[in-house]
Amino acid sequence: MIPTGAPKDQPANPGRRRAIDWLLGSWLVGVCGAVFYPVMRFLVPPEVTEAPTLSVKAGPAASLAPNSARLVPFGQTPAIVVRMKTGELRAFAGTCTHLSCTVQYRPDLEHIWCACHNGHYDLTGRNISGPPPRPLDAFEANVQGDEIVITRRT
Amino acid sequence: MTNRRRWEVLAASALWLCATLIMAGIMAGIMAGMMAEVMAEVMAGQNRAPATPAAAPQVPAVVPAAAPVDPVEAYKEDVHQQSGVTCASCHGAGAPGPIARTRIASLCASCHSNPVYMRTFRPQVRTDQHSQYLTSVHGQQMAKGETRVATCSDCHNAHGVRPVKDARSPVAPVNVAQTCARCHGDGNRMTPFGRDPAVYDDWSHSVHAAALLQRGDTSAPTCSTCHGSHGATPPGIDSVANICSTCHVREAELYQSSTKRVAFELAEQPACLTCHSNHKIVHPQDAWIDLKEPALCATCHTDDMAGAALIRTVRTGFDTLTTKFDAAKALLDRAEEAGMLVDDGRSALREATEQRVRLRVAVHAFAEAPFKESLDLGVAAADRAQQAADAAMKELNFRRRGLALATLVILGFLLTLAVKIRRLPPPTSP
Amino acid sequence: MARTRDWLAERLPLDAIQAAIDHKTVPQHRHSFWYYLGGMTLFFFGVQVATGILLLLYYRPSATEAYDSVQFIMTRVPFGWLIRSIHSWSANLMVGAAFVHLFSVLFLKAYRKPRELTWISGMLLLFITMGFGFTGYLLPWNELAFFATRVGTDIPGAIPWVGDAIVTFLRGGPQVSGATLTRFYGIHVAVLPAMTTVLLGLHLVLVQYHGMSVPPSVEAQAARTGRPVPSMPFVPHFALRDLFGWMVALALLAGLSSYLPWELGVKADLFAAAPAGIRPEWYFLWTFQALKVMPGHVLGIEGELVAIGALSLGAIAIIVLPFLDPNTARSRRIVNWFATVAALFMVAMTMWSLMGGAE
Repeated sequence: MIPTGAPKDQPANPGRRRAIDWLLGSWLVGVCGAVFYPVMRFLVPPEVTEAPTLSVKAGPAASLAPNSARLVPFGQTPAIVVRMKTGELRAFAGTCTHLSCTVQYRPDLEHIWCACHNGHYDLTGRNISGPPPRPLDAFEANVQGDEIVITRRT
Repeated sequence: MTNRRRWEVLAASALWLCATLIMAGIMAGIMAGMMAEVMAEVMAGQNRAPATPAAAPQVPAVVPAAAPVDPVEAYKEDVHQQSGVTCASCHGAGAPGPIARTRIASLCASCHSNPVYMRTFRPQVRTDQHSQYLTSVHGQQMAKGETRVATCSDCHNAHGVRPVKDARSPVAPVNVAQTCARCHGDGNRMTPFGRDPAVYDDWSHSVHAAALLQRGDTSAPTCSTCHGSHGATPPGIDSVANICSTCHVREAELYQSSTKRVAFELAEQPACLTCHSNHKIVHPQDAWIDLKEPALCATCHTDDMAGAALIRTVRTGFDTLTTKFDAAKALLDRAEEAGMLVDDGRSALREATEQRVRLRVAVHAFAEAPFKESLDLGVAAADRAQQAADAAMKELNFRRRGLALATLVILGFLLTLAVKIRRLPPPTSP
Repeated sequence: MARTRDWLAERLPLDAIQAAIDHKTVPQHRHSFWYYLGGMTLFFFGVQVATGILLLLYYRPSATEAYDSVQFIMTRVPFGWLIRSIHSWSANLMVGAAFVHLFSVLFLKAYRKPRELTWISGMLLLFITMGFGFTGYLLPWNELAFFATRVGTDIPGAIPWVGDAIVTFLRGGPQVSGATLTRFYGIHVAVLPAMTTVLLGLHLVLVQYHGMSVPPSVEAQAARTGRPVPSMPFVPHFALRDLFGWMVALALLAGLSSYLPWELGVKADLFAAAPAGIRPEWYFLWTFQALKVMPGHVLGIEGELVAIGALSLGAIAIIVLPFLDPNTARSRRIVNWFATVAALFMVAMTMWSLMGGAE
């Protein structure tokens, strides 16, 4: 880019010219580094390869025993993953549709319960008793390798 | 051009260029700021939530007994008319005349208490309304000949009766309180009976009224939920707790096994009502729990009584959690506004909020252990939120430092370039 | 190194290019500062291409995923926040630089013979740039962009006979929807870049071929004094100064992205009511405001249509300006007058719109 040897840019002092050019080159390398470092980092895929708004990992499958459940974060709100007595996996939004408390699983009742005002949901998410006005949103629950993955239904 | 002139021109050009770009940048920044302000205003306008439950709901004022309507017109919309019931069914043959108030209930009951007859319209309909009514204060008074109490037609209307499910019915859940308030909110009607006419006003300032009327939460209690509809009677002292506990299960459970219950029973205090009132039930405040007036506990408790230490522990616990929560939230909001990812922090805040709710429930155990359990979990969650917020701000500062470094490098390059340009030999004109 | 160069020189016209670069000069006079603006616009465009390519590695052009993918870029991809903010800021700065470049050429009469084609290609490039801005604005699929696009694509509907067809073509359907997003994405990353490649290539080749235009006043002065207009070699004198300007612009972009990061806003909801205060990007505000203040009907014709007509006539007039201006002292003064009025009008309308418009 900076041509050498053309007759019109030889200053009085060749030594000084070389020093300036060297300095300029060094700073230019610095600028290129400052530009290309972020670009290189950008190109490497991040650890979480996709936005956790459509699907999220929900922990190891083996450690979720029958008739128990696990709460996991799904974006900014909780989700509840239930292993039924039959071994089947179900997953729902973990926010009660009444006043947004986080629900829990009751092994004695074998369904989902909200402690705030005694709301009950069955294992299809339907609100069966108490104040909740709407069912819980259901998610797809699958096992990938040894990890449970829950996905929003679109 | 001389060298010096050339340098002056160059310096002037460079300064001019910088100044222009900086001005452009500032203008762009101002415009961006203005647009951000506009966008924020727009978003705020979108997101402004309806009034908080603590604010008085817009409950319509007490309406006196419904203005007289033309019975024939009104009856056209009546559910009885749709079922083939005619004027003569109630008024008898001949021109319809008014029915004596003391006779109304038994007249309605002649059909509505007959299960065989009612089953022909709806298989699952209840037929105990009249027997309930006779146990109520209204029914008992009416049986004695006191006609200034409610009977069927006062609440359901005489003509133009609508099913309870119809939102226009005076006894639809959202309208019940207003209907009761026609009498129970009217001082002129209540004073002869020595009853408090402020009950409707009190209830309309409660969280239950806000839930029912503003949020449309039909699970929220209205007059008939606690007092009964046909068998309307104030609950007795030991039955109050039974009523509150149908929804507030956890609080009732803890209270039942607490020392407070024993103390209140001995003092003949009505459980829940003592602290929470019956009609004007508002959001409990953390400030209620203290040993100095006007705190609620201080009504009975003093420094030297049993329970003082627990009260102090509970109050300190609440304050600690609130302080930590507010600090974490403020920092997370700042980080999010600056464009940082705050999902983990928000999850932790959510959990802290949950624990704070459980903390307020745990108060009803009136013991230290359950309270401390929730407090520890809540404080841990708030601490995690704070850590997430700190990490986000650290990342933000790291970005700014990185940018400062990059700018310095560019500046160094620019200065060297300026020198290089200065030292270029004068251009030979063609 | 020298052997490689020789090998290439036997196959590519390197010597011719080298000679052209070595002999290229740039006139030096009191208005030469404005020569930098074209290169500045080009720099911002280069930044847009680079950051745009980086962004499309992670962006998803569907209504359900677009917003989340932009949020993903801003929060989870390393330096994604920087690339995205730079892309948004550079877009605005590019439009700004393009307008300054336009007005400087207008006032310095650089569109005179033989540079008419350079002018026309440049005007088309300006419209394409604004098209880039309009299509790109929708891509994050946030509330403001969605409604601004709805308002913006409504405007051609006022044109009789072909208006509805135009609107349907732009939107990929009768309403602004996911189809619009995909269509705008295709326009933004494929159609407009293809058109830009051709027009920009032509524009740059023409600039090299004709060299930089010298304003009439400087030419007149040179004729009077008998001294030719001084010039500086393109390489290294002008080129290094150009580079200086570009580096300042780069630092400005980095600073703006770090201290005034571009917001993401709220996700678009097709069924929500339009919030108050919808407006397009700042470079469209003057047209937006002009349309708003038109009276309902002018001489029996719908006000909006009159405004569109006036703007279209203005656009055509400015494209064929080199053929309208006979390049006399009087005609040049008239052009200056028109240009000043236009500039003031645009600035005034923009300010008015920013201060709340005629709500």
